[in-house]
Formats: sequence, C-alpha cells, structure tokens
Amino acid sequence: MNDREDHSQPDEAQAAESLAVPSRRQMLMMGAVATSAVVSIRPALAQSAASVMNCEIPVPDMGRAGQYIAADGRLVPPDTPGAFPAGRVFKGEDVKAAIKGRSLPGTSYEQSQAYMNYIRRLQAGNSGFTCYASLQMPR
Amino acid sequence: MAQPRFRAEDASHLVIKPLDDLSLIYHRRSGTTHVVASPVPEMLGVMGGDPLGVEEILERLSQRFELGNETESLIPVVAARLEELAALGLVERL
Repeated sequence: MNDREDHSQPDEAQAAESLAVPSRRQMLMMGAVATSAVVSIRPALAQSAASVMNCEIPVPDMGRAGQYIAADGRLVPPDTPGAFPAGRVFKGEDVKAAIKGRSLPGTSYEQSQAYMNYIRRLQAGNSGFTCYASLQMPR
Repeated sequence: MAQPRFRAEDASHLVIKPLDDLSLIYHRRSGTTHVVASPVPEMLGVMGGDPLGVEEILERLSQRFELGNETESLIPVVAARLEELAALGLVERL
C-alpha cells in the first residue's frame, strides 16, 4: 500500500460525493477524434460482376413514365421549365462510368447530371434500385 | 472562409432502433444498416433538419447532455463524426 504524503491530493471524499449526486443531464461519451463511431452493413446482394454490368436502371421508374426529370433529379410535370424528358433505360456499366465522371451515353452534360441525381434518389421498391445499390459494392 | 454547415438526413428516411450502447440506423434510401455509437445518434437527434455548423451542433449537445468542462476540445471530435456521416450519406454537407 502506497504511503502517499501528497498534501495537494484531491479530496477523495469530495470527489466521491460529486459522483454520487445525480447530474441534471445525462452524461454523453463523445469518444476520440480518430475513433470511428459507425459500422455500415450494406444490403446483401449476391450478383456476379457480369450481371451487375448488364443490369438496368430505367429513368424514370416504370410506374412514373410520362414525367420529366428536373436538374436535381426530382420527377416533375412535362411542362416544367428546365426539366429533361425521360424514358431512357441505362445499363449498370454506363451508370458506373457516370459515377466516375463520364456522361451517360446519348446525353448532354446537364441531362446526364439530372439523370444521375434521379438515380441517386432511388429507393428500395423503385425499379433499378437494386442495380444501382449493386454498383456501389466494393469489388 | 465560411464555416461548413451540415444537415441531417430527413427523419422519415431513417428507422432508428436503440440497443444498449449502440443504435441501429436503417437508411431507407440506400438499404444500408449503420451500427452507430455515441455521440452519433445524439448528434443526429439534436440536428433535426436544421443547417448547422460544427460549433452550433456542439452547443446543442451541451444543452441537452453533460459533456464535461472541456467542450472546446470536443470541436474536432464533432467535426470528425460529421465527416464520417457525410461520407455515408446520413448528413449532407451544405
């Protein structure tokens, strides 16, 4: 047992008392800068490399044919200024190239950006969602 | 240089299930489940849908939770978590 002669030693009785007093707010552990706080589990999609490249993403989803695509990817009525006509189907390999910066085939730069914004907004249940999610699997 | 601001993903796009020390966040748009530890779920909670800078988020956390005395030193911690969340699509960098 240490024989400490530390006169500046914090008053342990006081410290213990402050711990026993319930604080008004819950303590939040903030962690360290370098300590990641998230582990992500991607949807389990078993597809071969070949089938991913050939899978298709319709723009727009089949149930929404007749609407146009705005620059931010939202579906809008056909007379909306600045919106692009839709009705294209893109292959997974084309969308993968577009993610890396190439324009989608047969589209202008702005049109490609609008379509890609539409694709990025796809949710589970929309046609093409599974194809798009597969493109983001690490290989 | 203007401070970067961040906005959390809309709550309607997330399903959050607290466990003991961890929470599960299912992100509908990506179909991805994120297993997250403090302070991430608390940060998302205080952010609501508001565009906020790092220090504003830390201020909201300190109002809701006890963070200790050295809150200044927590700025890089909040900033690092925001970068992580932005990379995952759970917050948007404005």
